[in-house]
Amino acid sequence: MTDFGTPKRLSDTLVTVEIDGKPVTVPKGTSVLRAAAELGIAIPKLCATDSLEAFGSCRLCLVQIEGRRGTPASCTTPVESGMKIQTQSPKLAKLRRGTMELYISDHPLDCLTCAANGDCELQDMAGAVGLREVRYGYAGENHLASKKDESNPYFTFDPAKCIVCSRCVRACEETQGTFALTILGRGFDSKVSAGNTNFLDSECVSCGACVQACPTATLMEKTVIAQGQPEHSVVTTCAYCGVGCTFEAQMQGNEVVRMLPYKDGKANHGHSCVKGRFAWGYTSHKERVLDPMVRARITDPWQKVTWDEAIRHAATEFRRIQAKYGRDSIGGITSSRCTNEETYLVQKMIRAAFGNNNVDTCARVCHSPTGYGLKTAFGTSAGTQDFDSVEQADVILVIGANPTDAHPVFASRMKRRLRSGAKLIVIDPRRIDLVDSPHVHAEYHLPLRPGTNVAVINAIAHVVVTEGLVNGPYVAERCETAAFEHWCRFIAEERNSPEATAAQTGVPAADLRAAARLYANGGNSAIYYGLGVTEHSQGSTMVMGMANLAMATGNLGRAGVGVNPLRGQNNVQGACDMGSFPHEFSGYRHVSEDPTRSLFEAAWGVSLQNEPGLRIPNMLDAAVDGSFKGIYIQGEDIAQSDPNTHHVTAGLAAMECVVVQDLFLNETASYAHVFLPGSSFLEKDGTFTNAERRIGRVRKAMPPRNGMADWEITMALSTALGYTMHYAHPSEIMDEIARLTPTFAGVSYEKLDRLGSIQWPCNANAPEGTPVMHIGGFARGKGRFMITEFIPTEERTTPRFPLLLTTGRILSQYNVGAQTRRTPNSLWHDEDVLEIHPHDAEFRGIHDGDLVALASRAGETSLHARVSERMQPGVVYTTFHHPESGANVVTTEFSDWATSCPEYKVTAVEVRKTAQRSDWQQVYSETRASTTHVAGD
Amino acid sequence: MIHNANQIAAFFAAYPREEAVASVEDHLRKFWEPRMRRQLVEYVAGGGDGLHDLAIAATQRLAT
Amino acid sequence: MKVYVPRDAAALSVGAEAVARAIARLGPDAEIVRTGSRGMFWLEPLVEIETPAGRVGYGPVEPETVSSIFDGTHPNALGLVEDLPYLKNQERVTFVRCGVTDPLSIADYRAHGGFRGLETARNMAPAAIVEAVLQSGLRGRGGAGFPCGIKWRTVLNEPADQKYIVCNADEGDSGNYADRMLMEGDPFLLIEGMIIAGLAVGANQGYIYVRSEYPHAFRTLNDAVAIARDAGYLQGFDIDVRLGAGAYICGEETALLESLEGRRGQVRPKPPLPAISGLFGKPTVVNNVLTLAAVPTILDKGAEFYRDLGMGRSRGTLAIQLAGNVKHAGLVEKAFGITLREAIYDFGGGTASGRPLRAVQVGGPLGAYFPESLLDTPLDYEAFAARKGMLGHGGVVVFDDTVDLARQARFAMEFCAIESCGKCTPCRVGSTRGVETIDKIIGTHEPAKNLELLRDLCDLMVDGSLCAMGGLTPYPVLSALQHFPEDFAR
Repeated sequence: MTDFGTPKRLSDTLVTVEIDGKPVTVPKGTSVLRAAAELGIAIPKLCATDSLEAFGSCRLCLVQIEGRRGTPASCTTPVESGMKIQTQSPKLAKLRRGTMELYISDHPLDCLTCAANGDCELQDMAGAVGLREVRYGYAGENHLASKKDESNPYFTFDPAKCIVCSRCVRACEETQGTFALTILGRGFDSKVSAGNTNFLDSECVSCGACVQACPTATLMEKTVIAQGQPEHSVVTTCAYCGVGCTFEAQMQGNEVVRMLPYKDGKANHGHSCVKGRFAWGYTSHKERVLDPMVRARITDPWQKVTWDEAIRHAATEFRRIQAKYGRDSIGGITSSRCTNEETYLVQKMIRAAFGNNNVDTCARVCHSPTGYGLKTAFGTSAGTQDFDSVEQADVILVIGANPTDAHPVFASRMKRRLRSGAKLIVIDPRRIDLVDSPHVHAEYHLPLRPGTNVAVINAIAHVVVTEGLVNGPYVAERCETAAFEHWCRFIAEERNSPEATAAQTGVPAADLRAAARLYANGGNSAIYYGLGVTEHSQGSTMVMGMANLAMATGNLGRAGVGVNPLRGQNNVQGACDMGSFPHEFSGYRHVSEDPTRSLFEAAWGVSLQNEPGLRIPNMLDAAVDGSFKGIYIQGEDIAQSDPNTHHVTAGLAAMECVVVQDLFLNETASYAHVFLPGSSFLEKDGTFTNAERRIGRVRKAMPPRNGMADWEITMALSTALGYTMHYAHPSEIMDEIARLTPTFAGVSYEKLDRLGSIQWPCNANAPEGTPVMHIGGFARGKGRFMITEFIPTEERTTPRFPLLLTTGRILSQYNVGAQTRRTPNSLWHDEDVLEIHPHDAEFRGIHDGDLVALASRAGETSLHARVSERMQPGVVYTTFHHPESGANVVTTEFSDWATSCPEYKVTAVEVRKTAQRSDWQQVYSETRASTTHVAGD
Repeated sequence: MIHNANQIAAFFAAYPREEAVASVEDHLRKFWEPRMRRQLVEYVAGGGDGLHDLAIAATQRLAT
Repeated sequence: MKVYVPRDAAALSVGAEAVARAIARLGPDAEIVRTGSRGMFWLEPLVEIETPAGRVGYGPVEPETVSSIFDGTHPNALGLVEDLPYLKNQERVTFVRCGVTDPLSIADYRAHGGFRGLETARNMAPAAIVEAVLQSGLRGRGGAGFPCGIKWRTVLNEPADQKYIVCNADEGDSGNYADRMLMEGDPFLLIEGMIIAGLAVGANQGYIYVRSEYPHAFRTLNDAVAIARDAGYLQGFDIDVRLGAGAYICGEETALLESLEGRRGQVRPKPPLPAISGLFGKPTVVNNVLTLAAVPTILDKGAEFYRDLGMGRSRGTLAIQLAGNVKHAGLVEKAFGITLREAIYDFGGGTASGRPLRAVQVGGPLGAYFPESLLDTPLDYEAFAARKGMLGHGGVVVFDDTVDLARQARFAMEFCAIESCGKCTPCRVGSTRGVETIDKIIGTHEPAKNLELLRDLCDLMVDGSLCAMGGLTPYPVLSALQHFPEDFAR
């Protein structure tokens, strides 16, 4: 792919210049270097690359400009109308050769054995300028004896090969926004440094931007050093978080050599994080299961069987259970990690072959309130903007999200915008990194008590309404008048004021008022939120509260504004879109709507139930009650990820046939009777839909190591159940989705290949998709204000459980950790720890690193403590990436009123020093080995 | 179940009674699986102890 | 009885503090006034006593000989200071108060004509102030000699919500001390100049970036800014004094801006010019101390007064700083046009060693070495450029016939290798290779081939470097090669 040397400039003013006698017209502000590249003229360069601002250090791109003195660098010289530029002359050739001579006088001459051989810009430039001799010799002062830093698990830093172009330093600053790298020393002693320590111990977050930016072998992936240069590549979509980065899987045959973020990827624009970039080794981890297995009882060892046997066994069992306990006694769970096509097939099988609507998905436990709340207010169950929109935001309001850890690539874009002037407000119980990080500082951090979101958002809206900050014309034109007036009366009541709610929320009224004014008056204001909003008993209410605020201030329906959920898993948006919820078909249409159901009945050739099915927690309740006996779970680990582990495992244990389809024998598989090995994202075709509704292609880079792609497994199971499915390729599944789903009507693989990706809705009205929604009017017609009364959760601190536990994520690990724990990412986070404020720790005699018991009314576990000022007093925090941590042993059954999304973010707990692991952990570690034992292994 | 029904009722309590009862009923019909609704109807028939007034009213409509 | 004792760092370095203490002890009636330095360093510590005829000087004075200044028997009695030819023959415009007044007395400053330029400026439109500076012919005194008025006009015409005035006080050139002398001796003049600059371009914030090796200047400026603020002079335009990062390159204006922003002092490419996108991306005037200090005079006495001094396109006065092997090292403020010879002999009194003069380096460590034959070059930007030299900031370092110019050429490369910001390759790597190549030449290792290589390297550094640091390093080398070839072939 052409590197144009400097970033693209956007300008309505065009400038025409002449380069080597050829005219070229480019936007004002474009560099001479880029203008030349657009003409196909490659001016030699080393420090310039089009992902970074011009720097002007290598002095290879010098040119001559008619009427100007000297030889300016073309990367730092913007075009000016009528300029006549010469890129080659004897003088320029001599200067460039002279510069290369200097570079090579301090560079090892080991090209043939260098890992960058064939992919080295220094090597290319030596050739381009015709360097034939280094007259200085090689005996002068040099850096060749510098020590290589191999501390990072994924890449090495070899200062002997460094040309000090600062591309790594600039990438760390401009692209990633971490500022971990710097140049130390002056003059000849200048060198790249990770802050005077090694890379692993530094601030480096291992995003890979520096490695990608390095023009030599100085920063180099260890996989490339081990394997050599790739020979072909496949463009695909990352299978980690909801940002949905586009990557190039660079291959040697069927082996991945490296994953490189793809410059034309519209979600990530060439950036990546430590997970997508490096943590893909789990796909070939030794614990990955490749053979189907069955067992009669969960206490038996697993028996390896053929695919046929496994599928037949599962189908027979499901039919047996239905014959015995009724049609509604089985169900299934779709996966937010699998493709749209796979998800669609699972819900289709459940509705058509199982004959009921007992299908749910892991979005139940994360963003189901988003779907409910936004659909109620706007008419669409999805975020309103594209990621690019953040570039036009003036005020960014982050609520209950920790983007630098959970959505790092988007966080980098957000930080870039914040560095260039946008204002930041953070509403979060913790002082997350974003509050105070290099060159980014929150204007206001409102550190609310967990569980008081709705009170805070109401108080903000109260300020807007009572201080006359409502955008009256917008509301009058776009929203339902009666509902707005009702809401206004409600929100203006004194009990919703910042002063009245401060005691409960813990947020100083003056700060809240100031933040509210900034949001309302700051220009384009955009809300970004995460699970800190949804995973509460009032999750849906809070989503509606944010929607109310955005509507009241007119911050919807254009670029730079909006209400934006940061989705957790790669395809959680897609899983919801595809009809994974028990009450709706694809495209969020209720099963009771006759015309829609008839459409599906006609297409699928069966009659379908018109009543909603069971949600996951209801399935588990019903299992404990004895009316639900079998389940098919594709790529989800409810035994680790869902709340109140005791209840989840009791439900699973009560079932007669649990079928788990996954890469690994996960925690849920301990309760399974049939294990169907899954395929990784590298091994199949399909699509993922990210948090901005962007449908991106997943492309097969290698054949499935388990023998079958997940969609093929579902197809086989359905067929074995007597409901035959025939798809030769996932594109045919997408064609069916498009036929049956108005918001996907215009989507096809052919179009995806052509456009790269598409944001739904994509149909006749928007043939190339919809980056920003609700322009000109809301999807439901008029926006609807909802009354959002603050009703405190019943989960409250008591003398016995005086602290509040809230949970979250960390950068290096992903969700239940099934993937990342099986990579060197564990080097950064090998266990979940309990963060606790120094006051709370001191009161309990707890020191940093102590083993502490964490108990709630639901259960007890133990973790090591980390004493941290990041916490507010009275609140403790942990992550849930490691099963043995048992974070969900502690969380309770309370959930969102509308969607049953669990209240992970608020649990009353007590913490005390302990000498031993909890009972649950002891039983877990004793039984885990036996429940995963495979006969013969 | 009772807890959740009460949560739903509490949300809609901010609306005028008729609208609130209809909204609770609508929510239960749209999102609750029939066997759960049946359990709720039975519970109300048995006195509906501890159940929010709106939830009782909405459940009574479910029964008809 | 008023007794004047300098508090200037140069005087302090030779014991002015002990002298002041001795005076206080021995002359309890003496009213000691601490001043800046007159710039006659061979006379420091120079003590002046007020008499009806004027200020009578004694210098150098040692603590042990203080008593004799009270009875007039001190052997180093100088008579009326103003009548000393070294001072009398100067044209003190910018340094008129230096050594005369108490640098931290705003009343003294006002009594000696201070703030008159500001009063004039306050009644002028911004464009008129810029025009006056333009008409005066004032050029940047930092070394580049860019017309100050043009820079100011660019900033004035740039629309922005925020503009800055930045004073470059990172005086790092060897043999240069005029900025320091002024900051320690007459800080209100700089402050006045900055306030006027703020009025002229519409800036409300100024920064003075003082090199970290100037603790006295830093303290004096901080005190002076506080006093000016208390006296109400800094309403609507405030000044912050910042201590530099200890790097020569931070005297380069874009590296200085980076450093002020809290980053590593590394050169930025131009464009954009600081006048358009400078400190924190806002239009910024970056001027040397002496440029800003010349402004109040221009506003007070008129552009013509200033323009009438000097020659050619070099207008006004130049602060010549005599240093090195010179008998009377010190500051000589003269209108442009005096020859190098006049400066060195008429004021400097020739070499300190008494040996024949062999070379003079003008303009700091990256200035050219001139041989005796070029001593009649007038001190004028264009005249120096025509002889492949540069006037720079006015530093004149004298060498006698014991100097080895090959070693001096090597030193230029070595200086660059140590002080380069490390950004661009010709400067970062080239300077080290330059040292090595000169070593080979001196060591008679393939001298012809290496001389050619050295010339190629110099061309590369001149044409290819990002900033003046790398671009000027070859000047001393090439001038040494041109004028003193014999030193390379010993």
